Amino acid sequence: MNIVRGAAPVRAAPLQAAPITKRVRATALVPWLYLAPTLLLLGVFTYWPLLQTAYLSLIDWNLNPSQPAEFVGLENYGRVTGSTLFQAALLNTLIYIGASIPLKVLLPIPVAVFLWSMGQRGHLYRAILFMPTLISFVVVGIAFLWILNPIFGYAKVIFAELGLRFPNLLADPDAAIWVIIGISTWKVLGFNVLIYLAGLASINKEFIEAMRMDGAGDVTIFRRLIWPLLTPTLTFVAISTIIFTMQQVFTPIDLMTEGGPSNSTTNLFYMIYQYSFVTFDVGGGAAGTMILFGFLMIMAFVQFRVLDRRAQYQQ
Amino acid sequence: MQLSRPMCIAGHIVLLAICLSILFPMAIVLTTAFKPMNEIYAGGLLPQAPTLENFKRLFEKTAFGWYIWNSSGTTFLRVIGQLVIGVLAAYAFARFRFPYRDALFGLVLGAMMIPQVLTMLPIYIMMAQLGWFDTWWALIVPNLATPIAVFLLRQHMMSFPNELIDAAQMDGAGHWTTLWRVIVPNLGPALAALTIIIFIDSWNEYFWPLLVTESAQSRTIQIGLREFLQEDMNDYGALMAGIIVASLPAIAVFLFFQRRVMDTFVSSGLKG
Repeated sequence: MNIVRGAAPVRAAPLQAAPITKRVRATALVPWLYLAPTLLLLGVFTYWPLLQTAYLSLIDWNLNPSQPAEFVGLENYGRVTGSTLFQAALLNTLIYIGASIPLKVLLPIPVAVFLWSMGQRGHLYRAILFMPTLISFVVVGIAFLWILNPIFGYAKVIFAELGLRFPNLLADPDAAIWVIIGISTWKVLGFNVLIYLAGLASINKEFIEAMRMDGAGDVTIFRRLIWPLLTPTLTFVAISTIIFTMQQVFTPIDLMTEGGPSNSTTNLFYMIYQYSFVTFDVGGGAAGTMILFGFLMIMAFVQFRVLDRRAQYQQ
Repeated sequence: MQLSRPMCIAGHIVLLAICLSILFPMAIVLTTAFKPMNEIYAGGLLPQAPTLENFKRLFEKTAFGWYIWNSSGTTFLRVIGQLVIGVLAAYAFARFRFPYRDALFGLVLGAMMIPQVLTMLPIYIMMAQLGWFDTWWALIVPNLATPIAVFLLRQHMMSFPNELIDAAQMDGAGHWTTLWRVIVPNLGPALAALTIIIFIDSWNEYFWPLLVTESAQSRTIQIGLREFLQEDMNDYGALMAGIIVASLPAIAVFLFFQRRVMDTFVSSGLKG
């Protein structure tokens, strides 16, 4: 791209040339005025805090303004990675992400393809699928706390009618994490279906008719046409799922288990929250944040490499 | 596209199962909220003697009026503020050429991929230094820049017919007038989609308000519900009533803009 010094509307030519340099300078400022609020806000509230977290990870401080912060170098990192909480959180984070790939990234694909094939007639399905996106994780968490309540919950009543005893899932260290995973899947499935539908909308249906004429079946059409054309969308969904799954499960964890029983549902996000705002260990929280940052970078990069090699078709 | 018959039937079965698993918990919440105390723990889906008791108790036991006021006020201001700031930035990226434009656009988009957890500690300390705890400032200001809005609006502005803009500028309209009088009125579907996204995001926000609101009068609905859950663990009737009150506005806003949004999403909006 040819970068022009000074600002000019992209296509509309100015009616008269501006010979005076002062005027040129003034117009050069115009786009920056339009951009100023966004750039300022992102600088102050996104990019600067990222750098500052790196600094905070090197100090020992308890959020108390009258307490001076003490520089301790990399000590926080050693303390955090050595704790059993961190090891549990890291393992659970891998489980959360590992379970999210089939449930939140792959499962929506056949659902979306089916809805797409139905065209306008799938409207009701789409509306129902989208409903969980509208309500908050707090609402979902409280609703399922009630349904799964081991003493008077609905699930217990249904189990009793079938002659079964309903286990207290949230108190079981092996089962609790799957309750959280199930709830977050329940909540985001419809949204991901919608994103895949957006990707599918750009596929020309005439290709499919042509393949049909040549005698291709559903499976062939999916493998040879839909899947390759959907790969860019898949990359997007996969990377954003990896980055945001931890944020999505934070609310159910906080409401339903608080990381327990015996750290079986905590993850890196919740661990950082506990370090920073429960025990007020700023250095530990910041060190955990930097570790999480590195972890996300690696995961996103790996995903990108794996999926990008397959994204060979461009529409 | 026409699927073969067995595929079609299998698809309907799977989708019906998914839809039922979505609707059933919702039905339980809805009916529980209208049940009197003695029925709540007895099982059975429909209330025998429907009552508004639970809603009454909700407002008596908690500062729910304050929660609604705080959630509505901050959400309203955030939607307006985020849209205006997004429109301005999108206009700069769509219609000007200036140094570092593409790099800056990359930085704006990159911010979309930075989860809040990575930046919250320094912002929290910043709020403490500014004395913004328990105020709307803390809930609104750190969230005002919206990369997805810049991205979506820029796309729509770039596909805007140049003839109209040229005509406006021929008539002597400057950038400011062109933007607000000519371009913005034609961005309806994109603005509707963004209104829903920002509204839901703000209304349902949990993590940030949890950190910066402490007094009962400054809490938002989501944090108020959490507080109520922890104080009154077993009053599930009132909790279900609270859930319904907390969910209605987002559903209403969605239904109001729905048609335009589904179209925007599916036809032009989010392409990976």
